[in-house]
Amino acid sequence: MTPIVEVRAATKEYRGVPAVKGVSFTLHRGEVHALLGENGAGKSTLTKMIAGVVQPTAGEIWVDGAKAEFASPSEALRRGIAMVYQETSLVPSLTVAQNIYLTDARRFHRLRGIYIAGQQFLQSLNFHVDPTAMVSGLGAGQKQMVEIARAVHHKAQVIIFDEPTSTLTPEEKHQFFALVERLKLRGVSIIFISHALEEALAIADRITVMRDGEHVVTDAASAFDREKIVRAMVGRTLTGELYGSHKHRAVRPAGAKVLSVQNLSMGNLVRNTSFSVFAGQITGVFGLIGSGRTEAAKVVAGVLKRDLFHGGQVRLDGRPVRYRVPRPAVRDGIIYVTEDRKVEGFFETMSIAENIHLAAMAGGRTKAATVSMGEMRAIAKEWIAALNVKAINADARVIELSGGNQQKVVVAKALVQKPKLVIFDEPTRGVDVGAIAEIHQLINKLADDGIAVMVISSYLPEVLQLSDRILVCRQGRIVEEFEGHKADEETIMYAAVH
Amino acid sequence: MGMGRLSQEQIVFGLALLLCVGFALALPGFLTTNNVLNLVRSVSILGILGVAMGLVVIGRGIDLSLVALMAVSVAWALHMVGTGMPLPQALIIALAFSLFIGAVNGWLVAYVEIPAIFATLAMGTLIYGFGRYFLLDLDVVYMPEAARHILWLGQGTLFGVPVPIFLFAAVCLGGHLFLRYAKSGRYLRAVGDNMLAARITGVPARPVVVLQYVLSSLIGFMAGIVTAASVASMNTRLAISTYVYDVILVVVLGGIGLSGGRGGIRNVIVGTLLIGVLLNGMTILDIQYTVQNVIKGAILLTAIVIDTILNPRDEQTAQQGDI
Repeated sequence: MTPIVEVRAATKEYRGVPAVKGVSFTLHRGEVHALLGENGAGKSTLTKMIAGVVQPTAGEIWVDGAKAEFASPSEALRRGIAMVYQETSLVPSLTVAQNIYLTDARRFHRLRGIYIAGQQFLQSLNFHVDPTAMVSGLGAGQKQMVEIARAVHHKAQVIIFDEPTSTLTPEEKHQFFALVERLKLRGVSIIFISHALEEALAIADRITVMRDGEHVVTDAASAFDREKIVRAMVGRTLTGELYGSHKHRAVRPAGAKVLSVQNLSMGNLVRNTSFSVFAGQITGVFGLIGSGRTEAAKVVAGVLKRDLFHGGQVRLDGRPVRYRVPRPAVRDGIIYVTEDRKVEGFFETMSIAENIHLAAMAGGRTKAATVSMGEMRAIAKEWIAALNVKAINADARVIELSGGNQQKVVVAKALVQKPKLVIFDEPTRGVDVGAIAEIHQLINKLADDGIAVMVISSYLPEVLQLSDRILVCRQGRIVEEFEGHKADEETIMYAAVH
Repeated sequence: MGMGRLSQEQIVFGLALLLCVGFALALPGFLTTNNVLNLVRSVSILGILGVAMGLVVIGRGIDLSLVALMAVSVAWALHMVGTGMPLPQALIIALAFSLFIGAVNGWLVAYVEIPAIFATLAMGTLIYGFGRYFLLDLDVVYMPEAARHILWLGQGTLFGVPVPIFLFAAVCLGGHLFLRYAKSGRYLRAVGDNMLAARITGVPARPVVVLQYVLSSLIGFMAGIVTAASVASMNTRLAISTYVYDVILVVVLGGIGLSGGRGGIRNVIVGTLLIGVLLNGMTILDIQYTVQNVIKGAILLTAIVIDTILNPRDEQTAQQGDI
């Protein structure tokens, strides 16, 4: 049987720099094929060539036994190839059904007509999404369902998912996996780009690993294990450092109570929640998205708008505080490290040095009202070395760095402000495997140095690996607390979902 | 970027030089002493206003009330001198009025969170109406005898060079030092680059926005004094002319991105050169005012299109919308 997609020695260069070098890749009918690799390995570029988003510099792409030269994604879609992006491409101000039927040939639709058709169509896919709901009001998982429904509606034979699970809660992930199974039964072939190795091992039929734009290995998923994939991805072994057995590690004792939150409420998102964070310890906060964990942290750090604050008490070192903007919180030593660095993490027109120095100024770590270039360079040099930021020099712009190095700059911006309490929100999201280990080491070192650290994560192995204490957040409340070495994945997940 | 290795700044500078040479060869009246003095004066005023607007645009705002505020507050100062008030006192009162309005603009944008383009558009109209109805009797206020001392600022020369050019240079230097070496200047760039990140980093984001508009009204007031001094009067109809768009033209053409955080005083200088030469040349060529507007409008649109291509929308712009 001819494969549905066959890539023959494809190369893609951007301004002479190859992103993909002579890669051959085969996708069989009805298979789930996971594409793995570190950031910058060329996974996205390869799939974009298949989906017609970019055109190969050299090499050929064959679809269903015929040579294909797609000039645009819509041409690829006509041949049954659809791509579902990380950032959803839905129109937020339209309803679910309108989005699904948006690019249909008919110029006008009766709303009632598409709602009825949408209802039936979504039901046939077993998606529990209201076709009349506005897309802007949907969760990440539901948005993804709508994107998939749209792809299926366009009779997609091949669906490419670019990191489909990175924004999903564990519950939504399970729904997603079930969905992939159903798509498979319909004869749809799936390419699945991911950073989450367990997922790939669990749902893929075959796995391809790429590194530095080159094909490393393709084999049946059953022939792989975690260790083997990571070795293929990075060319070195570091699983042990990463998510090794957390139970053999000594738990740090609690120091002074730095932060104490009592009966904090904010709209529907944070309901009467109470918790404490201690010096010299990592307090992990696990919760599904929408459980109020990020919001509770943002209220504490003054990041959310004040009109949402509905009551409760926050004490820093025993002193009651209420921050309406982040500045006084930063000045008092509470630093929130954002989960979304591109939107609120760094300044893209500024260099690494300027970014770090600006944080030092804003944190009150420099006194003068004028900028000293020498001081800026010294501070930048110190932090670039301390965090092992890989860049040509301190004058490189942050936007040009890889995800992991961008995150290190964001962390440097926080640490230069000499915090008492650092709240890391998803510290390793979109960060490559090598940098994850370094960021974890850094977080551990902070706690060893006596700083109160809070780590919010929706990735259980990360919470387990890092935390001395684990708080579980559900529906706006902290519902359970575990000693780090006593918890396991199942008990935590049980607390988080019930 | 599709433009080789030349930056927008260099291209604009080259164009200005070309235009200068072209006019000098083609127009007999262009290189006369009189015209050159005239050119330098008008360019200086445009440039000073450009610095004011540039600071606001770098901070991801825009100040459409800049020219209206300048015209009304300076006209009011002249009017007060005409009714017998001492010059310094009148200037201080008018300046305070100007700074106050700037602060209100900043407050509307930063604290009430109205998009800058609407807040300042409304403020410009309000100021002109208020000034004409409550403060002034006539559209044009002539320089009274008692204010003759400041004529030097617009018409005088120093070492044979018109004084306004020195004032322009001083404002440029001040603006440059502010952006590069002042903490608040850094904050302003940070706020323009990424408001959310600035906030989270602990930058006093809203006070910095207020500062932008206060600075723009301060520099605008200085431009107003020079304007009044060069023609010995202040015509408040300037407030409802398209002059403020010429200022925006200078800023955008010079290469200060409307998406904020990008560019500096150098961009204002090259933008000023090109627009100043162009406007002057068109006037000597005796091109109709309406046709001049067509040309200026087309250039502004082109500049904004090029700006969008050179400084593409980022994730933050996509989330927050422009300006």
